Amino acid sequence: MLKQDVIKEVLQAALTSGGDFAEIFVEDRRDNVITLASGKIETSNSGRTYGAGIRIFDGNNSIYGYTNDTSKENLIKIAKQVGMSISGVDKNLGVDLVEESVEIVNPIEILPNEKEKAQKIEWLKKAAKAASEYSEEITQVTGRYLDYVQDVLIANTEGKFVTDRRVISRLNVGAVASFNGEMQTGGADMGAHQGLEMYTDADFQAMGVKAAKMAVTMVHADPCPSGKMDVVIDNGFGGVIFHEACGHGLESRDIAKGTSVFTGKLGEKIASDVVTAIDDGTIPNGWGSFNVNDEGEKPTKNVLVENGILKSYMIDKLGSRRMNMPQTGAGRRESYKFAVGSRMSNTFIAPGKSTPEEIIANTKDGLYAKTLGGGSVNPATGDFNFVVLEGYLIKDGKIEKPVRGATLIGTGLEVLQNIDMVGNNLAYGQGMCGSASGSIPAWVGQPMIRVKNITVGGRS
Amino acid sequence: MNYQNFVDELFKYGKKEGFEDMEVYFQKGKSFQTTVFKLEVDKYTISDSTGLSFRGIYNNKMGYSFTEILDEESISILVNEAKANALAIENDDLVEIAEKQTGYKAVDVYNDELKDVLNSDKIEFLKKVEKEALSLDPRIKTLTYNLFMDSESELKIANTKGLNLEQKSNFAASFVMALAVENGENKTGHAIILDRDFKNHDYKKIAKEVVEETVTLLGAKSVPSKKYEVIFRNDCAATLLGAFSSVFSADRVQKNLSLMKGKLNEKVASNHVTLLDDPFMEEGCVNISFDAEGTPAKTTEIIKDGVLNTFLHNLKTAKKDGVESTANASKGSYKSSIDISPSNLYIKRGDRSLEEMTSELNEGIIITKLDGIHAGLNPISGDFSLLATGFLVENGKVTRSCDQFTVAGNLTQLLNEITEVGNDLKFTMPSGSAFVASPSLRISELSIAGE
Repeated sequence: MLKQDVIKEVLQAALTSGGDFAEIFVEDRRDNVITLASGKIETSNSGRTYGAGIRIFDGNNSIYGYTNDTSKENLIKIAKQVGMSISGVDKNLGVDLVEESVEIVNPIEILPNEKEKAQKIEWLKKAAKAASEYSEEITQVTGRYLDYVQDVLIANTEGKFVTDRRVISRLNVGAVASFNGEMQTGGADMGAHQGLEMYTDADFQAMGVKAAKMAVTMVHADPCPSGKMDVVIDNGFGGVIFHEACGHGLESRDIAKGTSVFTGKLGEKIASDVVTAIDDGTIPNGWGSFNVNDEGEKPTKNVLVENGILKSYMIDKLGSRRMNMPQTGAGRRESYKFAVGSRMSNTFIAPGKSTPEEIIANTKDGLYAKTLGGGSVNPATGDFNFVVLEGYLIKDGKIEKPVRGATLIGTGLEVLQNIDMVGNNLAYGQGMCGSASGSIPAWVGQPMIRVKNITVGGRS
Repeated sequence: MNYQNFVDELFKYGKKEGFEDMEVYFQKGKSFQTTVFKLEVDKYTISDSTGLSFRGIYNNKMGYSFTEILDEESISILVNEAKANALAIENDDLVEIAEKQTGYKAVDVYNDELKDVLNSDKIEFLKKVEKEALSLDPRIKTLTYNLFMDSESELKIANTKGLNLEQKSNFAASFVMALAVENGENKTGHAIILDRDFKNHDYKKIAKEVVEETVTLLGAKSVPSKKYEVIFRNDCAATLLGAFSSVFSADRVQKNLSLMKGKLNEKVASNHVTLLDDPFMEEGCVNISFDAEGTPAKTTEIIKDGVLNTFLHNLKTAKKDGVESTANASKGSYKSSIDISPSNLYIKRGDRSLEEMTSELNEGIIITKLDGIHAGLNPISGDFSLLATGFLVENGKVTRSCDQFTVAGNLTQLLNEITEVGNDLKFTMPSGSAFVASPSLRISELSIAGE
């Protein structure tokens, strides 16, 4: 990508106005996206993303600039322009770059360009066909396949020089069921930080059936009742509850500023005893795993909450400076167009002892949230919301009937205290997590859990 | 390689490789963004970037590709990728690259003075916002987010049929979020200014707005679950409208993904609703003189007095329906394929103010904030259930603020139960490439879930 001596000059130029740390991130990425509708390939697009970002620290302040023009002259110009906002003098810090070797967390066997488009289309069609054939009520099936290869180079004035290759692929299918003039949707997906070998044993048909079944079930469902109730949240993507209700509030960006509800709470009890939660970027080929992060640091397995006690935050380099604590490998970004931020990788509630059957049987009346969708959180208040895509009412310890259109709301601290049962069936789900440093792949995960007395917003 | 040489070489090579008509969509831009926290610069980002989208017809299909560098190597990558992509397409709809056209109406979307505003003055502005906000009310603890951003961009569309268009534009925005603390309770509120004239970024105005918005939420409690009469304040109404705007896309309709399918010339909303897409709107945020395919922009009345007049079209969907394009072809960026999106989408204003409408509520809720809009709202089914914040109204008077409740319904029901449209048209933050505005909307009944 860029030669070491060029990088050295650029980094030195970045410090001429008095900064005490400079970093360059160079990216060369190739994308493929294929979409399908009505059984036919609808669009196919591909391209090349290329650019570099330069970040400078001046004590606890951070400044950033990026460009597509990575000629030495332009990079030096940008480095100086970025530095201009610091009014100091050059501290003449020497730059000695040492190339690091990378420990592989995500082994890659088959690169996306080693398979024909026709093969990728065949996978997509298999899943879509199974969805369309599931029921006469399925009136539309859409699908999307994507892959990318992102080559990065990260170097900084502390001597770091590291290159890495990230390979991501994802396939999803969406089904629409129609009945009595109303439409409802269902979906299923798979994805990993892995080569296309991930599709070798994939059951595309099961994916299609899952999406279609959900849409058909929901189109015959009654609107969900409103009010406070006990909610059983299934494993896998259900982990978005911890991600939203707590995870974002543990990122150093808001902790360092004192604008998170979890600021100053290390060592305190923030959740019920049954809750242990972990952020782990080291799971091989995990959707949110990485060999090195976007600051060139290794991933860690970071226990955030242990038996209800807050143990750790997620900290990037800037957060480390501001909080005077070690970084935890949390520095991530979408692309060179974003300065690094403190982010989650794969965040999940650790498995407990109850079986899923026990949890349902022990719930007299409540809502079983089988599939959750996305949500959001306000870190300063802890208020969160997320949507139940597929839900069922529980009556006397038994699943009674499907209900639709429910949203769960609450505050992070309250919901963490109210988790009273944790299952033994940990699973993960692919999320695209959005924040100040862009949209990045992150697994959310949990076993089945039960939350007492949560506000359910429905239409009846 | 410079832009013109690159395009000439690209079209030449594309032709050699068997492409018929071809087009490039080129964006070049500069941006600046800064945030201030506790009177210090917290974030400071400058950028210059370019990107080019190539598309062309090969074997009667439209192949796409994009790049961010204009070098020799990119020419062959673009053409070969687009060819492979065209060969993968199976949709049989007729595709075309636009003919050279006339009748473009000029729009004023560039403020000459903006580029000369010093970055230090923008930072100074944010510091003033912070000082002012904190001085207005002791319960305001910090501004959790205090941002100013501006950008300048140049868009070019050129094709092998002789079409050659250019538009330069710039933009500036301020966004502030404040944190108020009282009795261990945290509340946040926000305020925005969208205006390319820096002089209109008035620190006193935005500080006053954000402080009022935030402190009124202190002491807010939930409300009993039941059905209420509801008013969506203008900005919330615009947020809802923006999130549902894809139901008017002819592409979604043709693919059976819109609940408006089959409803042309039918009543889809109450008589009070007239919905327009106006690229030349006087208060418009980003007006356009042509869409992403180069079709001259035009104003479209989507709903008139509750009756659905038309969907929004690009060239492909218009051809399929045997109508003319409404000039709503859009591209999220040079990385995207052509889609459909409104320009300035808004509901025509009514006669009375929010206060006048409020005075008639017997027991109702004014909604001033909606969260989780992209999760709790499904544009295909029309269902929504959203975390909301607002005020409880009893006997025509606001009695207290309320939060931790949801408002739920369905778009079809919502549109039909609009009993009044206010006179307070306001834009909200852009959703995709569309800017959406609405007056406050009064709804006869919606489900509220709280205690």
